[in-house]
Amino acid sequence: MNEWLIFLLLFLSPVLSSVPIVLAYKSKAWTEKLPYLSVFGIFVSVIMSLYILFVLPENQQFSYPWIPEFGINIVLITDYLSRYMGVITALIAFFIAIYGLDYMKGDYRPSWYWFFFNLFTASMLLVVYSDNLFLLFVGWEGLGAASWGLIGHWFRDDNDISYVGKAGRKVGPLELSWPPSFGGWRAISTIRFGDVPMFLALAAIWALSPTLNISEIEWGTLFETLGAGGTIILLLCLLMGLFTKSAQVPFSEWLMTAMTGPTTVSALLHSATMVAAGAFVFIKLTWYIAPWTLHGVHGLEYVYLLVLFIGLLSGLYGALSGSGMLERKVLLAASTMSSIGLMFAAAAASYWVDVEVGEMHMNFAVLVAFWYMAVHAFAKASLFLVSGHLIHATHSRFLSGGLEFGKKMVPAFIVTIVATTFLVGIPPLTAYWVKSAMDEVMEHLFHEVGYLPLILLVLTSVVYSGIMAKFLALNFIKGEKPHHEHTHGGGLMKVGYSLMVSVLFVLLYIIFTSEEGHEFVAAGSVLKHGTITISFGVGILALLAYMVALYRPQIHALNKLGAFFGDRMYLPFMNDFIIPKIGFFVSHLVQDYGNRGIDGFFNTVTIPGLFGTISKRIRGIQTGYLSRYINIVLGLVMILLVVVAIGGVWL
Amino acid sequence: MIEFSMPVLMLLGALVILTLCSAFSVKYRDLGFYGAIAALILASAAVTLLIPALIYYTAFVFAIGILNLVSLKVIKSVIQGVDYGLVALMALVTLYIFTTHNLALILAAFVLVSVPTYILVMVREGGTNVEVGIKYITFMVLATVLFLIGAVTLAYTKNAFNGLLYILGYVMLILGLSIEVGVAPLHEWVPDVFTSADPIPMSIIASLAKIVPFVIALRILISTSNSLTVSVTLFTAVLAAISMFTGNIGALTSKEHARILAYSTVANMGYLLACAVVIIKPEFFYFALTGALLMLFANAVGKIGFFNAIKGEGAFSLTMYLLAFSFIGLPPLIGFWGKLFILFSLVKAEYFWLVALMVLNSAISIPYYLRLARELGVGWKANLTNFICVAVVIITLITFLPDWFFRSMEVIAQAISIAI
Repeated sequence: MNEWLIFLLLFLSPVLSSVPIVLAYKSKAWTEKLPYLSVFGIFVSVIMSLYILFVLPENQQFSYPWIPEFGINIVLITDYLSRYMGVITALIAFFIAIYGLDYMKGDYRPSWYWFFFNLFTASMLLVVYSDNLFLLFVGWEGLGAASWGLIGHWFRDDNDISYVGKAGRKVGPLELSWPPSFGGWRAISTIRFGDVPMFLALAAIWALSPTLNISEIEWGTLFETLGAGGTIILLLCLLMGLFTKSAQVPFSEWLMTAMTGPTTVSALLHSATMVAAGAFVFIKLTWYIAPWTLHGVHGLEYVYLLVLFIGLLSGLYGALSGSGMLERKVLLAASTMSSIGLMFAAAAASYWVDVEVGEMHMNFAVLVAFWYMAVHAFAKASLFLVSGHLIHATHSRFLSGGLEFGKKMVPAFIVTIVATTFLVGIPPLTAYWVKSAMDEVMEHLFHEVGYLPLILLVLTSVVYSGIMAKFLALNFIKGEKPHHEHTHGGGLMKVGYSLMVSVLFVLLYIIFTSEEGHEFVAAGSVLKHGTITISFGVGILALLAYMVALYRPQIHALNKLGAFFGDRMYLPFMNDFIIPKIGFFVSHLVQDYGNRGIDGFFNTVTIPGLFGTISKRIRGIQTGYLSRYINIVLGLVMILLVVVAIGGVWL
Repeated sequence: MIEFSMPVLMLLGALVILTLCSAFSVKYRDLGFYGAIAALILASAAVTLLIPALIYYTAFVFAIGILNLVSLKVIKSVIQGVDYGLVALMALVTLYIFTTHNLALILAAFVLVSVPTYILVMVREGGTNVEVGIKYITFMVLATVLFLIGAVTLAYTKNAFNGLLYILGYVMLILGLSIEVGVAPLHEWVPDVFTSADPIPMSIIASLAKIVPFVIALRILISTSNSLTVSVTLFTAVLAAISMFTGNIGALTSKEHARILAYSTVANMGYLLACAVVIIKPEFFYFALTGALLMLFANAVGKIGFFNAIKGEGAFSLTMYLLAFSFIGLPPLIGFWGKLFILFSLVKAEYFWLVALMVLNSAISIPYYLRLARELGVGWKANLTNFICVAVVIITLITFLPDWFFRSMEVIAQAISIAI
């Protein structure tokens, strides 16, 4: 089959298949049936992504001119990262879409939901497969627009179940409660804040490099042209886009209130799109920049050091915040932020880790980051889908449900057990092997960076394991009895999360059978040189934390600390108080002094007055008397001729 | 000595037709109209035969001439029918102007375009507008005298160089041109005549009559340029800048529509005068020529549309706005291309300050053109005014891509010098 047809179907089928439901938005009968078409559109993308994975040649670039004069082309690539990430994205979106058929039934604007959901998927696929930075940015902005539409989907703000935070709870001047419309705004405003510098960075790359294709840019030459300062500024601008999209500290707030969107959106947002996009682009760029070969370039080390620590700090911040949270989805959101932080950290560590894996010569640290993204995606999506089902069943977004309730929700219960244990790094389950490899990556940094990265990673892993166990315990085992129970139905929802979680077994199988998996298995071995490995020790610690949290999911003695963590360490104050205050101050300044002055000068007083006066003077010449006109004209002509004559003689 | 080749005979034939039809049209008015059209067709064919590259120029002038003739249908003048002949004579001369290299003929052409307007300006329904006529003729006579003396002086210095005479001749020519077309600060007759004469004859004086003086001036200036030209050009540039500002700022607070158009003419003549500075870079002169002609056509069709709208008490809104946009210089309308080529040629001549002022002036002109369009625009009605307005809008849209016109001007500019 023609490659172009494959890619066209891949990108366009989700979008085109959701156009009919948009057109039929007024008809209730049609909007109930047409979601199936939208889901089918994503299914086509799944098939195409699988075709690309198994049939199309690896590491092939497909280029089609768009604005060739400016080096902006439709360039797609089937490198290792794109091929796998494409399948992950499409598959997760498909499972969530199936789930969504049930979950979004009876919603008040299905057309809006399905269009943006599919646009979201298509945009992410574009980000994943594009090799051209400009094309990537198109997908990137598509993600931004779709996330705004989806997070604020319940724009009427009329249902408490869609809020984040306890209604009416005030801390100082701030009410820590956010409706969907505000959630959408916080998301778009934060990511736009990062996108603008990112766009400038792309412009700079475009100006300095003969190509915008990630795989073809001579990064080393580019950085040398820029010098240390230029390299740092360029990469920081670029990273602003990635950090805001991936909700790393201090830009994490939008992600927490993104939970105001439908749960399906949260699931997609957190696993394979949006937040993953930032980490994915970083992984991809790092792979092509190959910083481990550029130790001679000044400035690059600082950038990677920054990313390493921002990632690790985000990891710890997210895990700690999650430990104090009582809202199902927000807890998961905090844990996602934590995981994404670890992906950034692992990928950034590649600067100091010069180990290649297998025939594809993939940097070990980059590979670890990518694999952690894959494992995390399926586990986290499963947990989100479960929590959506729980919210439906209990009509509550807070953690609740005892063993009795758990017995009524057996599939959800089992999926949660599998997803959490497979995710937190308990030996010998899927994430353990990847996390072990991550521990090993951090061990590589002992010499150049010190012990701190590993310490932060271990701390994060332990707390992370605890909050996952807490999620399990407080929803199915030890939580309060829900006020409302509606445990029937939800067939497609169960199908959705069961399919999702089953992929974790597939991944485990791949780890044990694939070439790159060998490295993970080696990293996770119990003994090395006769002593117990750090990785295994961390695995045991994670298991212990998991057990403890399962046994004591809430420690009332630590309530105050929990509240501090649960309020995200008061980071909302930065987003909702400090920055707006600065903004208002500046806008008042501009309005009161700048605008009035500018307005006065250009629009109302100075310039209009000047023009008015001159214009009246010019018209004042016209008195209507011929003699006056003749005086003027003849006078001018005579004077000019005399002046010219004298000037001419003098010359 | 003129060779009596086929095209020359055709031109003479056109003149004969024109004379006879005008003479008889006092009795049969329509004869004047059809005779004028026949003469124009014949002359256009003749000019195209003489110089094939002139075809686009000819087409534009022909269209403008026809529109002027058609718009004359609206009024019943006392010189019934002869007015067609006068307009056709002007159009004929305008068509002819590029085909000759003879200085005497060129100067005669200047007078031939000028004199019919003396009569046309007095035309109004049921009488003659003598007061306007006196004002207009006084200045035109002065302009003609200055222009002719300047031109002859310049021609003299070409063969017997004398720096003082060259500068005097240059300044006289520019001053004569300025008074003739209405460049500030010698524009005093323009607002008065534009507002007190009838709009229809004004639409002719403001359109067709402007082309020949500029073409002649440019041709004489480029033929006689020498080492002193670079210095004296500054005089022209300053005059152009004054005219732009005077016209555009004067129009801002004018209330009468005809007066706005008068000041708009002063401003446009400033843009056109700026082209004359490009003679210091003869290799880029064809840019200036293209710009000047497109600007003249833009000015002509715009003035025809607006004056007819004034006469008809409003015209179809859309056409009014499109004409305003063309004057402002929005792409892809003809006014944009005119300004673009003029600006481009000025950049090539390294007159950057004039470029900046011209762009600034385009911005200043926006409010009054839009005001004009808003006040003159009315709903659609099928009448002669709207027919003319639609026709001129089609002309403003015809230069969607002006490449063809530019290419033909490149050829024309090769042989623009006058034999002196």
